Amino acid sequence: MKVYVINGPNINLLGTREPEIYGYETLDDIAKKCIENGNKKGIDVKFMQSNYEGELVGWIQDAIINKIDAIVINAAAYTHTSIAIHDAFKSFSGFKIELHISNPHLRESFRHITYVAPAADAVVAGLGADGYSHVIDLLSDLPIKIN
Amino acid sequence: MKKKLLILNGPGLSDLSVYDEFYGNISLETIEKKSKEVCKELNLELDFRQTDDEDELFGFLLKDSEKFDAVIINPVGYSHALTAEFARYRLAIKTLTLQKKPVTEVHIANIFKQGSDITKPLQVPEGEMGFVSGLGVYSYVIAINAISKKLNQHT
Repeated sequence: MKVYVINGPNINLLGTREPEIYGYETLDDIAKKCIENGNKKGIDVKFMQSNYEGELVGWIQDAIINKIDAIVINAAAYTHTSIAIHDAFKSFSGFKIELHISNPHLRESFRHITYVAPAADAVVAGLGADGYSHVIDLLSDLPIKIN
Repeated sequence: MKKKLLILNGPGLSDLSVYDEFYGNISLETIEKKSKEVCKELNLELDFRQTDDEDELFGFLLKDSEKFDAVIINPVGYSHALTAEFARYRLAIKTLTLQKKPVTEVHIANIFKQGSDITKPLQVPEGEMGFVSGLGVYSYVIAINAISKKLNQHT
């Protein structure tokens, strides 16, 4: 199984940005754990981060071209604004999970709208940085169609 | 000492035949069986319940709260209703999180896919709370794994 884990703006600041909300683990720590856990289960994990909306859209399109089996996306702030990500995500026919470290619905009201979730198969939020590895650990149990 | 987990299923969840085939032949019994397996592996004591009665639902959450250390709740419609029921749900969850009990809300299907109003905000109670929606029986599995990890960090 091939999986893209796509991360949006400011996620590169993990470990330093409001650690009381997002935790002390850095993005490199999380990426390393995801790739290791994936390897154990025969899942090829590619971990990405960008602060640019267009680059995130491009990676979703790459996933379509490269016949990736699943995308886990933490679009961060673009979750609440980006129709472009919504459209690209809709075009991807593999399994789609929206992930958030915190639970956006418990925070400011401007984070209560998600354009990603209605285009996703599942949403995982508020499980902390561990949410990533919890999701990777479970992917091989889900009835995901493998290309 | 073994930590105790309450998994509480709200009104209507005794019949899961409405869910599409992605979720397999899902039933409350298969969810209970899988939850028991996972809890056994993680050394958690499981209390798995379902009720169609609203007063009973909130009774389990509030009056029985000293009997468990963490809660996974499938509240069905309570989380996206702008009603008095939601206010009651919100209060119950807030009470639990104030007691520092980990709470995670789960849904079998992706509730954001239901209904066409993309901009309608989801109503989730205040306080620290996890949220998993759309993974079928694995919504429960991921919530149990996350809660087990959280409980182990607390002690």
